[in-house]
Amino acid sequence: MTSEVKIPDPLDLDLDEEARLRRVAGLPAAKTPAGEYAGFESVGLPERPPQTEREREVYTLEEGEMLVNMGPQHPSTHGVMRLVVKVRGEVVTDVDPVLGYLHRGIEKLCEEATYTTVLTYVDPMDYLSTMHNEHAPAIAFEKLFGVTAPPRAEYIRALVVELNRVFSHSLMMGFLALDMGGITPILYGFINRDEIVDMLSAISGQRMLFNFFRVGGVNWDTNDEFLSRLGTWRDHVLKNVEMSERVLTDNEVFRSRTIGMGTLSGRDAIALGVSGPNLRASGVPFDVRKAHPYSIYPELEFEVITQSGGDSNARYLQRIAEINQSIHLIDQIVDKMPHGAVQAQVPGIIRPKPGRAYAAIESPRGLYSVYAISDGGPNPYRFRMRDPSFISLQAIPKLMPGRLIADTMAVMASFDPVMGGVDK
Amino acid sequence: MNIDLLIGVLRFLLATTLILLLTVPTAFVVIQMELKIIAGAQLRYGPNRIGPWGMFQSTIHGFKVLAKEDHIPDQADRATFTLAPWMVYMAAAMSMLVIPFAPGAIAVDFNIGIVYFFAVLGLSVVGLLVAGWASYNKYSLLGGLRSAAQMVSYEIPLTLSVVGVVVLAGTLNFRELIEWQRVHGWMLIWQPVALVIFYVASLAEINRTPFDMVEADSELVAGPFTEYSGMRFGFFFFAEYVALFIMSGILISLFFGGWLAPWPFPDQLDGFIGTIYGVLWFFIKTYIFIAVAVLLRATLVRVRVDQLMGMAWKVLLPLAMVNLLVTAAAVLVFKL
Repeated sequence: MTSEVKIPDPLDLDLDEEARLRRVAGLPAAKTPAGEYAGFESVGLPERPPQTEREREVYTLEEGEMLVNMGPQHPSTHGVMRLVVKVRGEVVTDVDPVLGYLHRGIEKLCEEATYTTVLTYVDPMDYLSTMHNEHAPAIAFEKLFGVTAPPRAEYIRALVVELNRVFSHSLMMGFLALDMGGITPILYGFINRDEIVDMLSAISGQRMLFNFFRVGGVNWDTNDEFLSRLGTWRDHVLKNVEMSERVLTDNEVFRSRTIGMGTLSGRDAIALGVSGPNLRASGVPFDVRKAHPYSIYPELEFEVITQSGGDSNARYLQRIAEINQSIHLIDQIVDKMPHGAVQAQVPGIIRPKPGRAYAAIESPRGLYSVYAISDGGPNPYRFRMRDPSFISLQAIPKLMPGRLIADTMAVMASFDPVMGGVDK
Repeated sequence: MNIDLLIGVLRFLLATTLILLLTVPTAFVVIQMELKIIAGAQLRYGPNRIGPWGMFQSTIHGFKVLAKEDHIPDQADRATFTLAPWMVYMAAAMSMLVIPFAPGAIAVDFNIGIVYFFAVLGLSVVGLLVAGWASYNKYSLLGGLRSAAQMVSYEIPLTLSVVGVVVLAGTLNFRELIEWQRVHGWMLIWQPVALVIFYVASLAEINRTPFDMVEADSELVAGPFTEYSGMRFGFFFFAEYVALFIMSGILISLFFGGWLAPWPFPDQLDGFIGTIYGVLWFFIKTYIFIAVAVLLRATLVRVRVDQLMGMAWKVLLPLAMVNLLVTAAAVLVFKL
């Protein structure tokens, strides 16, 4: 006979299993009969009293208002974001973004991993800018460990992150159009992306989660396939970009859907912590590559591009300008690339001295940064990431009230959030 | 019993059956065109596995839809939920009855065919509204309301633009209208403004991009069709493509000479040959306009609800009024 030890339930000893689970999940103690909460007005309400003042505000309906759930399963929420939209007819009166549907605890996983393996965990965060995800921790860990990557490695890093930026921005143009019902630009964006991804898979061995950066360098040197693909791509990339641009930029319907939509002033953008192309579209000339130079960017010639509008159209034009800028940077990087090693001498398991390091880079979505604390062990004691999409999403509820349902998606797409990064 | 009446009834039954049967291949062909043309615009192949050039892809889709689970949500109003697809589908199929395919190939040669056509086509809005309400889903509800607002608004400029044509030709019968065009030249020359109004309004009337507010997949998932599955969804889907065919057919009948060849000879072919010749030209012209509508879908983004309404009431309606006024004045003054 086995002796069974009954472990006391920390939450409640008297409740049966279902009641206990309901309590853990924050649901009411017993199932509500279908008829009681199934009215149009209350569907979507959290089944618990409001926890904060803001929640009370969002979930209190006035006469004629209705809550609509956009997401987490919805064609246009860029992954699994949920927007609780309060509407009066077609007019949005309030928006409450609900996050966390794609949370994988990556920061915690990184704290359990050695410094070398952290770089594999950060890949699936912002899955459209994988190279940037690896770049920031690589720089931070090099600071912690006091190692510098060889010059050729830095050039290859800059090359791949700029390539990554081009395809990320190409896709943004497509997703913006897709959220307004234009089905073609996304395909052009993917054509552009596919060529770059083929190229990056030639150099890194993978097509999406490249796992290319190492502490103190990069995994591989350039190879013939990469360079030949790069050359072919460079020959026609400007034509490709122009092709996708031609479908949208002067399209009268597209302009009427984007100009004046979701206008964010520079002051508000700074106050909300918005960064990257979204901030520059509001006229603030802040680019981490210029403001806090890292890698080889001080050696490259480029200007910070800004737009004046601050609306969806300005954010779109900003992306196009940055694609062209990145192509210009790629040209310079290829011209200047030195010979030499691509990996510094680094031990298999890195044990940096106790200390702290912060590294910020300019990702396609804005200021992406990493803060790591070492306690002298083989893995980071604390590892935190600032994801720009997460911060950008703050702007959505500010911009929405008074707009129509259709604009919710169009404006959100213009901020180009990636839920993998938001939820980490 | 009156033998003429019997023949009339039999002919009507035969014609309606044929029209109902015709809707299926029509929808298949239009869907196939959409798949292939949009694929071309997007630099990809499109369907190319089932049959030569993938031409049986949409047929297979049709069978797939038949085999799928037919699900009715718990809270849905069952009676109206099941009725709605039929209303939409029958509105499309019934309006096909008066389409003039060729001399001798009109299912019902109605003396008020044009009035009948717009009356019946407008019924589909009832089906969409009912679908939106009965589904017990907020996306459906919003989609249904959008469809009501949009189709009711656009019906007015659509019909007003045709009144100009009717005033000029002096008939409400499609066959006579086309005969008029054979004598006087295509209506396109006489009523260019009406053509523009009609084209824009017809796209809105059948919920095509850039006016597909009703479905608006990125906002309302699938609008009134969100909760539908299996063949009930299939009927909505079919009705949509049949409506595209019908609108293109009516467009060419009203403005592009219907079954007439673009050149004046042979002046008039009689009998079976004439029918075949007419059907040929009717289909060529109709499918050209379907292709244009498909290309529009591949190119444009969707307009917003308020822009859509603004255009109907602020631009198209006044334009249609002025057009009608000028046409009527011209008919009076010049005794056309």
